[in-house]
Amino acid sequence: MTDLKNAYDSGVEIAWCPGCGNFAILKALKDALARLDLPPHRVLLCSGIGQAPKLPHYAHVNTFDGLHGREVSAATGAKIAAGDLTVIVHAGDGGAYGEGGNHFIHAIRRNIDITLIVHDNKYYGLTKGQASPTGEQGTAVGLQPGGIVSSPLNPLALAISQSCGFVAQGASHDADGLSALIVEAVRHRGFSLLNVLQPCVTWDRAHTYAYYRENCYRLDGEYDPFDRSRAFDLVTMDSEKIPLGVIYRQKRADWHEAASRGSRDQPRDRTVDPARVHELFGMFR
Amino acid sequence: MEYNIRIAGEAGQGIQSAAAILGKAAMRSGFHVYGYMDVESRIRGGLNFAHMRISSQDDEGVRSDYGILMALSQKAVDAFCENLREDGVLISSHGRDHANRMPVDIEQIAADAGAKAAVSTAGVSCICSLAGIDQDVVSKLLNEKFQGRREILEINLNVMRSAYEAAGKTGDEGHGLRPLPGTAKKDRLFLTGHEAVALGAVAGGVSFVTGYPMSPATGILNDIAKWSRNTGIVMEQSEDEIAAVNMLAGASYAGARAMTATSGGGFCLMTEGVSLVGMIEVPAVIVIAQRPGPATGLPTKTAQGDLHLALHAGHGFFPRVILAPQNIPDCFEITARAFDIAEKYQVPVFVLTDQLLQDSFASLVEPRTHQLQRERHLLDAESLDAMKTYRRYENTDSGISPMAVPGLSEHVVVVDSDEHDENGHLIEDALTAGKMARKRLRKAETVRKAHILPAPVIEDDEDTDHLFISWGSSYETVKETLKGLRRRGACCAHLNLRQLWPLDTEVLGRIWDRYKSVTIIENNVTGELCTLLETELKRTPDNLIKQVDGRPFSVQDLTDAVSDIIHVRTAGGGEKK
Repeated sequence: MTDLKNAYDSGVEIAWCPGCGNFAILKALKDALARLDLPPHRVLLCSGIGQAPKLPHYAHVNTFDGLHGREVSAATGAKIAAGDLTVIVHAGDGGAYGEGGNHFIHAIRRNIDITLIVHDNKYYGLTKGQASPTGEQGTAVGLQPGGIVSSPLNPLALAISQSCGFVAQGASHDADGLSALIVEAVRHRGFSLLNVLQPCVTWDRAHTYAYYRENCYRLDGEYDPFDRSRAFDLVTMDSEKIPLGVIYRQKRADWHEAASRGSRDQPRDRTVDPARVHELFGMFR
Repeated sequence: MEYNIRIAGEAGQGIQSAAAILGKAAMRSGFHVYGYMDVESRIRGGLNFAHMRISSQDDEGVRSDYGILMALSQKAVDAFCENLREDGVLISSHGRDHANRMPVDIEQIAADAGAKAAVSTAGVSCICSLAGIDQDVVSKLLNEKFQGRREILEINLNVMRSAYEAAGKTGDEGHGLRPLPGTAKKDRLFLTGHEAVALGAVAGGVSFVTGYPMSPATGILNDIAKWSRNTGIVMEQSEDEIAAVNMLAGASYAGARAMTATSGGGFCLMTEGVSLVGMIEVPAVIVIAQRPGPATGLPTKTAQGDLHLALHAGHGFFPRVILAPQNIPDCFEITARAFDIAEKYQVPVFVLTDQLLQDSFASLVEPRTHQLQRERHLLDAESLDAMKTYRRYENTDSGISPMAVPGLSEHVVVVDSDEHDENGHLIEDALTAGKMARKRLRKAETVRKAHILPAPVIEDDEDTDHLFISWGSSYETVKETLKGLRRRGACCAHLNLRQLWPLDTEVLGRIWDRYKSVTIIENNVTGELCTLLETELKRTPDNLIKQVDGRPFSVQDLTDAVSDIIHVRTAGGGEKK
């Protein structure tokens, strides 16, 4: 391993709330990149808008900070164009599951080799405390002072139900565990989902660090992530206890394999040769 | 001398493929062919037609009269016999009491051969027989079309032979139709507008295409997809248009030459992404194949109604380029050049076609490619390695910052939809924000001063008081209309705009002021070019000719409208005033 320990420091001033779980996620990411031996220029972080999506600016790597909810789409285009880049998406629960819900579903289908890390804190932080798609029903929030009316989305169950090849859950209070999960998610060939639980220290009084420490547990070696029914039960059962770890895995052909494209056959590298079009003219004579 | 032919019937009866066989047969026999489609938004039934012109000249205006009607349904006979020329021919198994019906039962010929669906082959063969097109030419085309499907091929060949024989027996020469003179021209291609756009994209070096199907743009996506195995171009169907434009932005950022194609409704979904492209300054080619709106509008009809949409799409200010091809060869040229322009200036380039242009077809001289740019406008690995630092948004005089792609060197490439500093990191301070806004403004000025397309040319008679301005796809019909009127002694000049943004206001203003009267002709409800020129040139035209029903202008309608303005006797003969 080359010494990449300090390679990812960007020097950009961080604009998160003090105590935010994002700090731990950023650290876990940098650790994971170093463990994966990925120099900054081989990595592309994609994000959208919100608190979590500021993360790429705080790491010295290639960055595409695009539109809210469209980070997965931009990452998909970039991965198709330059298959040799390691592409990781950082999105909030609003961007990934709300505004970008359709892209999330289709990313599972498309199974392109990118990693989606969702910072799931049940709240919209930057717009000041509205419900996110994972917000708990009944909680009084900004736009719903009488309590959240809709039931929360279960992203893990959704991903498992659609045979997502890699579904994992981490938590910001467990930076070491999270770092290991990021490594595994990036190594997985195909679309991987890593949902990261974190407290919103500004807006959420209920889901504190203490709450997560008390209720989260790491899946042990006995657990078989290839067992789909068990994985589905695990994330849908009515329990206070929250599993952390790789919840579901499945081997599927990724986009490059299914489309019969080698990762070296990159649109980025194609030269422009107008005369090439003459080969197609034969069909029209 | 020319044949105007209308092939009409239900959706699913093979009208489009009949037109393609007839068109290619005529082209290979040395004629010029032009045709357009008028279809309904359905897969079976209804009433569709292809209108074709086969001639020894290269007129490509939309005409509404015809001397041959091939009608595959009773509905088609009922709808279109009325406009059949007096000396015309009806080829149909319906309308048996029509005085000009060719006594050939095309449905019976197909049924006798064992496939009712071959009726269109029977009809086309009758037309070819009338036009003196050699049977071998049609036979060869059928062989190409049904390659590998022996049984169907045999049936169609039998149908062709029977139809030629039956048509020959009628001795049908009493309708003023004579075989056309012509010699085979080898370098001709038979192309639809969407094929010309797709081929132009290939010539322009496209390597990534994404999109969501929407009429009338889908043809472009289909063509690219069909060729992807041979060309290596990636065609990725997106889950929606929002995904398409964001995938395009991601691919373009990572160094691909990227394109999407859609129509007005789909483009509306893309507009936030357009603004992103403008902010992060990645190249983008976006084809907007226009159809009438608002909302779903008329999905399979035509309009030039999205000029303002393209001009104002996306919030905030950023430079852009809008081009509108004027005919099928121009679809190739403009699309091919769009990629170079987009990359050179790092801007979105909109190519505005429409249903008329997308679905029309013509025989044309094989496009030349030697004048197209081969060089890319990206920093290569060598020059990047030589740089100590790299700033994606370096504050240059031209406003254009050298573009690097990620992964090519040790420099990282940072882009941000937030306002950003020269390194691409998000900022909020007034000083940097102002610098960046001014940088984009300077880039717009660089684009405005660049000669993106050659300066607009006045066609024909400059010694006149009357100037007619049209844009994009209305070109051929306006040109033919004015040509017809000139033959009757009228004086009228024609200017067709292909570059709608930025406008060269100085050149256009000078042209405008040379004429006593200026008329704008465009296929939309409000006169979008008219409004644009009023704002940009500070000049108001004397007349505006519009079309608002989703159909293209026809030479006949335009002749009447223009005659009203310049006082030409429509019954023929010189200028009145």
